[in-house]
Amino acid sequence: MPIGGVIFLTIFIAVFGTALIYLARLTGGMRKNNSAVKKEVYECGIPGQEKKDTKISVKFYLTAILFILFDIEIIFMYPWAITFKEFISKGQGAFVFVSMMIFIAIFIFGLFWEIKSKALEWD
Amino acid sequence: MISDALLFWFLAFVTVGSGLAVVLFTNPIYSALSLVMTMVGVSALFVTLGAYFIAGVQLIVYAGAVMVLFVMVLMLFDLKQELMAFSRGQITGALKVISAGLFLGLIFGIITKRSNLSFVDKIPSPADINIDNSKELGTVLFARHIFGFEALGVLLLVIAVGTVALARSKGGTHAKH
Amino acid sequence: MGKDLFEVVVNCVKLLAIFLFMVQAVPILVWLERRGSAFIQNRFGPNRVGPLGLMQLLADALKFLKKEDFAPEAAVRPLFYAAPVFALIPATLAYCAIPFSIPLSVEAFELFGQSWGPYIFKMQGYEMNVGIVFILGVSSLAAYTIMMAGWGSGSKFSLMGALRASAQIVSYELALGLSIVGVIMLYGTFNLTDMVMAQQGPLQFSAFGKVIQLGWLPNWGIFYQPLGFILFFAAAFAESNRLPFDLAEGEAELVAGFHVEYGGFKMLMFFIGEYGHMLIASGLVATFFLGGYGIPIWTVADVRAWLGTMFESPQTVDLMTMLIHLVSYLTKLAIFLWIFIQVRWTLPRFRYDQLMELGWKTMLPWALGNTIVTALVIYLVS
Repeated sequence: MPIGGVIFLTIFIAVFGTALIYLARLTGGMRKNNSAVKKEVYECGIPGQEKKDTKISVKFYLTAILFILFDIEIIFMYPWAITFKEFISKGQGAFVFVSMMIFIAIFIFGLFWEIKSKALEWD
Repeated sequence: MISDALLFWFLAFVTVGSGLAVVLFTNPIYSALSLVMTMVGVSALFVTLGAYFIAGVQLIVYAGAVMVLFVMVLMLFDLKQELMAFSRGQITGALKVISAGLFLGLIFGIITKRSNLSFVDKIPSPADINIDNSKELGTVLFARHIFGFEALGVLLLVIAVGTVALARSKGGTHAKH
Repeated sequence: MGKDLFEVVVNCVKLLAIFLFMVQAVPILVWLERRGSAFIQNRFGPNRVGPLGLMQLLADALKFLKKEDFAPEAAVRPLFYAAPVFALIPATLAYCAIPFSIPLSVEAFELFGQSWGPYIFKMQGYEMNVGIVFILGVSSLAAYTIMMAGWGSGSKFSLMGALRASAQIVSYELALGLSIVGVIMLYGTFNLTDMVMAQQGPLQFSAFGKVIQLGWLPNWGIFYQPLGFILFFAAAFAESNRLPFDLAEGEAELVAGFHVEYGGFKMLMFFIGEYGHMLIASGLVATFFLGGYGIPIWTVADVRAWLGTMFESPQTVDLMTMLIHLVSYLTKLAIFLWIFIQVRWTLPRFRYDQLMELGWKTMLPWALGNTIVTALVIYLVS
C-alpha cells in the first residue's frame, strides 16, 4: 500500500526539519543585542507601523472562489479524459463527446462572462 | 492484516483528533489549519479503501482549494473582535449548549439505534484495493449520471455569476466608476 | 509498503534516498544558478572557494549554521517555525511519486539463514495508481506553507507576498490542471509509469484505420500535444514561483515576499522547497511529454537486447538497463532545470495584473481549446 510510504516520509521530514531548525538554533546561539529595534519586523528603513488588520483587496477573495469553481469543473474532466478512448471503442464516443462539449461550453460561457464583466481585471 | 488495521487506526486518530482541534482551538487560523489536516486525513482514509481518484479529488478540491480560500480570508482580517464574540457572551454560551445537546443526542441515537444501522453492505476485499477504479468511476458518471453532471456545470456557472455580482469592484452596482 | 521486512526496509531507504537526493540537489543547483547567471551576465560568480567555486556550498552551509535563530516580536511563533518544515513536505511527497527508472527485479537469495524474495523494486518512491491526481493534490498544499509563513511573520511585506503568491499559485493551478487533460486523454491513464511505457519506441499512431510510423522521431507526447507542453511548462514556472512569475518575491516592491523575516536554516528550507518544485516540474514535463526515463526511439526491450549481447548474466543486464534509463531520466531532468535557470536570467518580471491576465485570460482559454481540439482529433481519427 503506497500510503504507508507517504506517511513514513511525512513523519520523517517533519522530524528531520524540526531537528534541523533546533540544531541551527543550538549552533547559532543568541546574540547579546536584544534591543526592541532588532525585534521589529522588517520595514524599509523607517520606523515600522505594523497593524495586522491590513485592508486587502476583495479581488484576492474573488480569485480564490473562482479558482474553486473552475477547479471542480476541471476535476470533472479527468474521469472523462481517462475513459474517452474506451467510450469510443464501445461506439458511444459521439454521446460522451457531445455531453462533454456541452459542459465545456457552459465553462467557456462562465469564463467569458467573467472576463466581460471585468471580474478578472487587476489595477 | 495487522498493518492495515494499524494504518486505519492511525489515520482515524489523526482525522478525528484534528477534527476535534478545529472545535477546540480559539484562534480561527489554527482551526482552519486543523480542518485542512482533517481533509488530508479523510483523503488518506479514502486511499486505504481503494478509492484513489476520490482521495485525489478530496485533496485537490477540499484541502487544496476550499480551505485555501478559508485560510486566505481568515488571514485577511484581524479577528480579535470575532474571537471575543465567539468565545464569550450569552448568545455564544447558548449556542454552545445547543450544539453540545445536539451532539449528545446524536451519540445517544447512535448507541440506542445501533442495531438498525448498516453503513457498509460490502467490505472491499484486499484484492480490489490495489486496482485503479477511476475508469469505472468515469464510466458510471458518463453512462448513468450524465444529467447530474451537466446540471453541475450549470450550478457552478450560477455560483460564479453570483460571486462576481457580489464581489466585483468594477462595472458592478457598487462600482466607483 | 511490502510483504516482508526486507522489502519494507528497502522501500524506506529508497524514500530517504530520494529525499536526500532532493536536499543534495539544492546546493548544486544554487551553485549552478550563480555560476550560470554570472556566465550569462558576463561576470565571474563564486570562483574562489575550491575548484570552480564548488566549496562555496559548504561555506554557505557553515554560515547558515552560525546564523542566529531569530523571530521578530510580532511573529506568531508556532506558525513561523512550522512553515519552513512544512515547505519540505509537499515538494518531497510529490517528487517521490515520479518514476525515474524501470523496476529492478531481485532474485531470491539467502540471508540470516532465511530465504528472501524474489522482489521487484519500483524505481520511484511509491507507485500511486492515480499519479497525476496525487501529485496535483499534494502540491496544491504548498499554498498553506506560503500563507503560514506570510501571516506568521507578522509583517506587512510578508503578508502581501503570501497573498500574491497564493493567488498566483491557485490561478496557475487551473491552467496546469487543464493543460494535462489532453495528455490524460491521449494515454487513457493517470499512472505515470503507464504513460512512460506508452511513449516508448519510434513515433507511431493509427489514424483512419491506418498505422503511420515515423522511424526518425521518438514516440513522445510533445509531438501529440505541443500546445499542452507549452502551457504546462509555463504554468509550472508560475507554480514554482520562478522568474518571470516570481511576483511573490519581487525584490523591488516586496523585498523578498513571504520569507522576508526568515534567515539561516529556515530560509534554506524554503529554498529546498522552491527547488523541489522545480524538480517536480522538470520531472513531470519529462514524464508527460518527453518519454520520462525512456531512451529516444529505443524501447526498454531494445536496450535489454543490446545489453544482452555485451553481458552474460541476466542480473547484470537488468542492473545496466536500469542504470541507463536512470541516466536518461537525469539528463532530461538536468536539461529542464537548466532551462529554468536560463529563463530566470533572460526574461524580466511580469507586472501583477499582466500575470493574472496571462493566467486567466490567455492560458485558460488556450488550454480549453487544446482540450477540445484533442478530443475532436481523437474522436475523428479513430
